[in-house]
Order: sequence, then C-alpha cells, then structure tokens
Amino acid sequence: MNEMTAPPRAARLTSHADPASIEAVTRALAARFGNRLVTSQAVREQHGHTLTWTPNEPPDAVVYAQSTQDVADIVKICAEHLVPVIAFGTGTSLEGHVNAPLGGVCIDLSMMKSVLAVHPEDLDCIVEAGVTRKEVNEYLRDTGLFFPIDPGADASIGGMAATRASGTNAVRYGTMKDNVLGLTVVTPDGEILKTATRAKKSSAGYDLTRLFIGSEGTLGIITEITLKLYGIPEAISAATCQFPSVKAACDTVIETIQTGLPIARIELADALTVRAFNNHAKLGLVEAPMLFLEFHGTEASVAEQTQRFGEIAEAHGGGPFQWTTKPEERTRLWQARHDVYWAHQTLRPGVRPLATDVCVPISRLADCVTETARDAEENRILAPIVGHVGDGNFHCGPLVDVDDPDEVERVKNFLERLVRRGLEMGGTCTGEHGIGQAKMKYMLEEHSPAALELMRTIKRSLDPKNIMNPGKVVAV
Amino acid sequence: MVSFSPSSEAEACATIKDACALRRPLAIEGGGTRAGLGRAAQVEATLSTKALSGITLYEPAELVIAATAGTPLAEIEQTLAARNQCLPFEPMDHRALLGTHGEPTIGGVTACNISGPRRIQAGACRDHLIGVRLVNGRGEIVKSGGRVMKNVTGLDLVKLNCGAYGTLGLLTEITYKVLPKPETSGTLAFFGLNDARAIEAMSRALGSPYEVSAAAHLPAGIGSGKARTLLRIENFAHSVDYRLRELQKLLAPFGENLRLIEDEANRLWRDIRDCFFLAQPRERPIWRISTAPTRAASLVGRLAGELDIKHFYDWGGGLIWLSVPEEDDSGARVIRTALAAGGGHAALVRGPHNLRSRIDVFQPLAAPLMKLTAGIKSSFDPDAILNPGRMYAGV
Ligand SMILES: Cc1cc2nc3c(=O)[nH]c(=O)nc-3n(C[C@H](O)[C@H](O)[C@H](O)COP(=O)(O)OP(=O)(O)OC[C@H]3O[C@@H](n4cnc5c(N)ncnc54)[C@H](O)[C@@H]3O)c2cc1C
Repeated sequence: MNEMTAPPRAARLTSHADPASIEAVTRALAARFGNRLVTSQAVREQHGHTLTWTPNEPPDAVVYAQSTQDVADIVKICAEHLVPVIAFGTGTSLEGHVNAPLGGVCIDLSMMKSVLAVHPEDLDCIVEAGVTRKEVNEYLRDTGLFFPIDPGADASIGGMAATRASGTNAVRYGTMKDNVLGLTVVTPDGEILKTATRAKKSSAGYDLTRLFIGSEGTLGIITEITLKLYGIPEAISAATCQFPSVKAACDTVIETIQTGLPIARIELADALTVRAFNNHAKLGLVEAPMLFLEFHGTEASVAEQTQRFGEIAEAHGGGPFQWTTKPEERTRLWQARHDVYWAHQTLRPGVRPLATDVCVPISRLADCVTETARDAEENRILAPIVGHVGDGNFHCGPLVDVDDPDEVERVKNFLERLVRRGLEMGGTCTGEHGIGQAKMKYMLEEHSPAALELMRTIKRSLDPKNIMNPGKVVAV
Repeated sequence: MVSFSPSSEAEACATIKDACALRRPLAIEGGGTRAGLGRAAQVEATLSTKALSGITLYEPAELVIAATAGTPLAEIEQTLAARNQCLPFEPMDHRALLGTHGEPTIGGVTACNISGPRRIQAGACRDHLIGVRLVNGRGEIVKSGGRVMKNVTGLDLVKLNCGAYGTLGLLTEITYKVLPKPETSGTLAFFGLNDARAIEAMSRALGSPYEVSAAAHLPAGIGSGKARTLLRIENFAHSVDYRLRELQKLLAPFGENLRLIEDEANRLWRDIRDCFFLAQPRERPIWRISTAPTRAASLVGRLAGELDIKHFYDWGGGLIWLSVPEEDDSGARVIRTALAAGGGHAALVRGPHNLRSRIDVFQPLAAPLMKLTAGIKSSFDPDAILNPGRMYAGV
C-alpha cells in the first residue's frame, strides 16, 4: 500500500481492522500512554484467553487505563481509525467475550482500582471498574455493610456489570441488574456519560443503566459503578442435606421458597459431583444429590427457619440434615461447595472442566438436570452438574480431553442438546455466563426475529462504527 | 378522536401497521387511571388495551405470573392472594391523586414502572418484570425475556420497556416474578421528629439487619398534628415481634415510639403509597422528587424557603412527595435548580394540561443521554407512532 494515502475510511467496521489503521492507533497510543501500551505476544494472548476451547484471538495491543479520561482518549483514537475496542476486567468470562476477532485494542481496566466513595447512610458506594468484588468487600469490612454478588471468580465490578453477573446469593439479593444504581460510561465516540444520579430511583427517562448492564462491552465502556450495599445479616446459618434424587431436592427447594423462608443461598450438587467431593476431601458421603443452604436473618429467625427447612427436607426423603450458625462450622459445611472446581478435576485428572450454564423454570429443573445427566452417561461424557437451584440455573462442566477429536465432537453435540433442552422447557440458553461469541448462534432460537433485529438496531444506533467489542452478542 | 381496541396481538399489530402507514400517532391507553402522567401527547387516535385481558400463565410453584396488558391489576392481585402470593413492589394506585376512574391495568403499571413503599426493600416494579411481549412502532411482535429468573442473553429490552410510558412499544403480555405474601406485618411509629432527625432514624433502621420493608416520614400537618416516622417490618409473626423489639432498642435515642395496630398501619401505608395526603386541594400541582436520603431534608428546607410547599417522605427519605401552588411554572425551576446542586430528579405527577405541555414533566436529560434516548426511541419506533412526546419532546 502506498504509505502516503490513508486507507479509505468505511463508516462502519465490517471486517478485520485495517493493518495501517492498527499501526496508526498503536503509534498514537504509545505516544500518549508510554509503557502502559503493551504489544508483546504473551500479554496479548493473555488478554484473548477464553478459559474454554473457543480459540484465542488476541488483540493487537493492550492499554492499561488509569482513569475515565484515559478510556475516553483511547476510544476516541480508536474511533477515529475505525479500530475495535475491547474492555477487559479480569478476563474470567467463559464464552469468548474478550476475544478480538476483528483485531483491535484491549483496554485493561485492572489499574482502575479506587473506591471513590462509600455512603453508609444511603447504602451505596461508587467504585472504579477494575475493583474486584472481593476488594469491595475487603474495603467495606469495618462498615457493617457488604456487596452480595459473588460469581465463582473474583471478577471485576466493571466486568460483572458488563455481563450482568450473579452468583450463589441471587435468590435473596438478585443479580447485577438489581444492584447497580448508576454507571459512568464512555460511549463509542469517546464521550463520558452518567446514566443516573445517586437517587434511589433511577427512572429519569429510559433505563439506560440496565441497557449497559449485560451489554458485554458492545455499547460502551463502564468506568465507574454505583453499587447498592446491604447490612451484614445479624445471623447466618448454613446447612447441608442429601436427597434420594435430584427431583426430591428440587421439590424441597420449591416448597421452601414458597413458604417464604428467607433463604439466601441454595446450591445443588449432583451425585457425580458428590463423588468428586469424596475424591477431593475424603468426605465419605453417599453418592447422592446434595443441597447446600444458607439463611440470613436475625438470631431467632435463622434458627427457627433452618429447622423448618429441615422438616420440609425430611418430608421429601432428605437426610442427614446438618446445620449450624457458628462461623467456623459454616465454613466447614460449605467447604466442599467452594472447592467444587478442584473437586471436579479429580474425576478425570489432567483434564480441565469446561463451564457452561442454562436456566429453566424451577418446576422443570429436576427434569432438565436428570435428562442432562442421562444424556451425558449415554454419550460417555463425564459432566458433573452444580446448580443455583433457587433460580433454576445450573452449570454443567464436562471434562473433555481436547486432544481427542471424537470426544470433542460428542461434547459439542451434548452441549447443543443441553441448550435446546433448556429452551424447550421455557428456559434460556444462559442465565449467568452470557453470550460472548460462543452462544451467539442461539440468539435467534431464543428471541423472536424482531427482537434480535431490534438489538441490532440499538447496537447500530449507539455504536454506528461498530467498534465496541465487535463480533459479540449480536452480529450487525 | 378515533379509538382502537384490538382484541388480539395480531389485531394490535395490524392497527399499528396501519397507523404507521398513515403516519398517524397513537396514544396508548390501559384503564386510563394514569392518563395524566407524562407530557400531553400530540395524537389523533387512541389504542386501548382493554380487550387484551386475562391471566395467561400462573405457576405458584415457580412464583411466576403472566397476563395480557389490559388485565386489571385487581384481578392479578386477587389471583395471587388466593395462593398467598403478591406483587412485591406494592404498586401505587393513582386514582385518588389524579381524580381518575376506571381500573388500573397491569400494562399501565408496567409502562409507568409503578411501585410503592416496599420498593425500598423488595425493589421496583421493573426489578420484578422478567418478560414482555410487545408490538413495536412498525407493528412487529417483539418477545424478550421469559419466565425464568435469570437471563443474560443479549441486551435487556425487558427493563427498557418498564417506565418508557408506552413510547417504545405497545406491551401486550407481561411476566412478573412474585413472592409469598408476608404472613404478618408490624409498624413502629416515632413522634415529633423533625425531617432531618426522622431521616437519620430511617437510615439507621434501613442499615440494620432487621429488614425494614418500608420507611416513611409524615411531617406535622400531614394527616395528623404531630409528625410521625413509620417503620414497617414483615414476615413470620414471631420474627416480626423480635425484630420490632430490636429496632426499638436500636432507635431508643429517637424517643417516644409505639407499635401501631395492624389495621391502622395498613391504612396509613396505603395512604402513603397513594399519596393520599396531598390529593386535596385538587388544584395544587404535585411533584415527585428522588434524591439521596441524606440530602432530602436540606433540599426540602431550601424549597420551603422559596415555595409554599406541603410534603412527606417515603423510601427512607429517598422519595419526596411535594405539593406546590399553581403559579408560574409551579416550582419547576426552583426545584430543578436545587436538585442540580445535590443530585436527584423531579417529575411533575399532577398538573393541568397547559402546565404539562409548557414545562419538562420529567427531569430533563443531559445532552449525551438525550442522544441515546432518541436513538433507542427510533430503534423501536422509527416513525414516532407510539405515544410520541409523552416523555420528552421528540421522543
Ligand atoms: C471459575 C469461574 C466461576 C464463575 N462463576 C460465575 C458465576 O457464578 N456467575 C456468573 O455470573 N459468572 C461466573 N463466571 C463468569 C465470569 O466470572 C463473569 O462473567 C464475570 O462477570 C466476568 O468479569 P470479568 O471482570 O472477568 O470480565 P471480563 O471477562 O474481563 O469481561 C467480560 C465481558 O465484559 C466486557 N467488559 C469487562 N469490563 C468491562 C467494562 N468495564 N465496561 C464494559 N465492558 C466490560 C468485556 O469486554 C467482555 O465482553 C465464572 C467464571 C469462572 C472462571
């Protein structure tokens, strides 16, 4: 190409970014950010990793932003040259969210770690996007308040907002969409906007806060988040109980929730997972499904309610039922659940589990889990299941030898059937992990064509150049 | 004015397609009880949801209910009550305040994101909405969300439509998650606190582990000669008793207090929910102001210096209901200037037609937000057929 003529500027990015544009952007960023711009192979690959078999597609450069203004400057430079921008929190997303299929610049937000304000009386705090959930709670430790959303990984608050993350607490505290009061966002043309004030009710106009939550970095970059906080419960009890079948466990959960017991967490482990617990920590449990529970409330109510749960469980054939309110014993009871990732690896040493999730109406959960387990067995796949049963959401983590093409094929088909099964039962193809690249193909099946087209139109309207994390969520 | 009342979603699509072809904007109407909310829309025809009525799915075991948009709210609440369940966000009834008649519909509740006192603990209407079907401005059916509690499949079109006042689509079917009805409730009243002190008490209560489900402050002259600060606790009887006692201990520094008789408390909470205290005199415009509770008392103090106001607080001080005299812009400039300093927003809930077309009824948006808002409106409704101008001019 002639060095002197700039490449023709398309109005909208439709294919891989032009190498000359990338070069120009990299030069401009290097001038502005010095050694906070990194282009080494290792760092780029680390920022395109997917934790799954989705192939790594590294960005062309990584910039470590330190402020909202930095982010705005980077976006402006990229927008001018039509080069993609991919936000990166901690990179724990599981569906190829941070890949750079069209090349571009990854903005790593991990240096934006300030807690900007805590307002204990108003039960909120403002944090920068790179603060992780554990860091928030560490910071709040002496205030008597906490932030409840806890995805398995110690993800960034920005990434959690961007993926609408949730965790084991969702039954009681909801997900990110219920716990973010406002956002500061850098738009695709590098403008800075605030979606809401700190007022409790953020309904001036359309709910733009919720539009950005879960948009996976495709509409803008979140740089600051106002989070809702909660008082630490006066008392917490933990319990475990085993059941003759997944159905008995699920029926127990349904009945418990319906009686209005203030349950905070209910996690299901299937029989295969319980075998893994035994391998991992020599627990000597019967290989049968198991529930882990936590109740939050006052001293009196927690004790009363945990026992009430015990009665419901017993009526469904559950037992032995163990419970406690003592912190050390609570940790011990839940330890197996916390170690599930490592426990699963003992089922097939040397092979890393893949993670996927679906969500179904809770009344169909037992059917979905049972059929999925049967499907796995018939196809000689080891696929332990762990679920946030209170929401009908469960994770299935097949242990696959990625070097065995036949097995990879079988597992791929198995996962497709899992999604279809979820959809057929009135559920969704993902309740937690999001769309990224890997689940884009299910969008049409789940939404009506008009709904999908509407998402595209919104994407085009907000990001006319298509530079915000292109190739994710919806293809435009 | 022409009026359409489609009896099926397909018919609604056809009506909107026709309107779109004729470039004839439509005002969407449910029970008409909230017709005075928002700006006065410029339309020649109305589209009523009254023939789209009925509960389409109710799974008590799943805590999920779905209904078509014109279904009366009362029908939904009765159906849920029969199974000891409820809509947790305690939707306000606007009839007393706006002097309207008719039946509130679930479509209207959703379109206007209507909540009540329990919002502070249980979340807003929008937080419980998990699925919608709607007809966009082109007459196409859009389905988003569904009946599961968690869903991270793409952009959140569900929440976007809650509180959009029908400017993005005609909602046809709506799915909510519901909760078991609290077995019992108890309300504690403190007396004679000034606004600042009352908000302090409410903040302390809300930050405690006792799960306060509503917190309101009625200054002297609002329903009684003596100021009352009210805190509600709900759930199992035994636990309610215990938590009320603990709350009394915690709030001992705030002086004299009393557990109200349940009937009396329920009536008070209903009046707070419906802004009954400010309903009369009818001609005074009503504002609804959201701000951080810690700023609320000083904000009201400042407004009282400039306007002849009557007011009370809900949501621990985060929501201020304000009645002002009808003169000039009825306080719009004064209120919004005061808010600009401290953050928050104000919407005019009641006011004569000419006032509602002269001033910004909803909080004006900063330029970048307005640009986004216009982009979203045109994505859903490119020809501005649905409730045009109801929220903002041009939207
Ligand atoms: C072991 C393990 C367990 C997990 N358990 C759960 C679970 O229980 N529940 C759950 O919901 N998820 C879970 N996840 C998935 C993952 O942790 C969440 O999706 C998390 O929210 C991602 O946050 P992150 O900071 O790592 O984001 P990243 O992976 O860095 O980014 C995720 C997406 O968000 C975008 N993004 C990141 N930051 C921003 C920003 N500031 N502004 C705009 N866009 C941004 C990225 O471009 C990308 O598209 C788990 C993952 C692992 C590895």
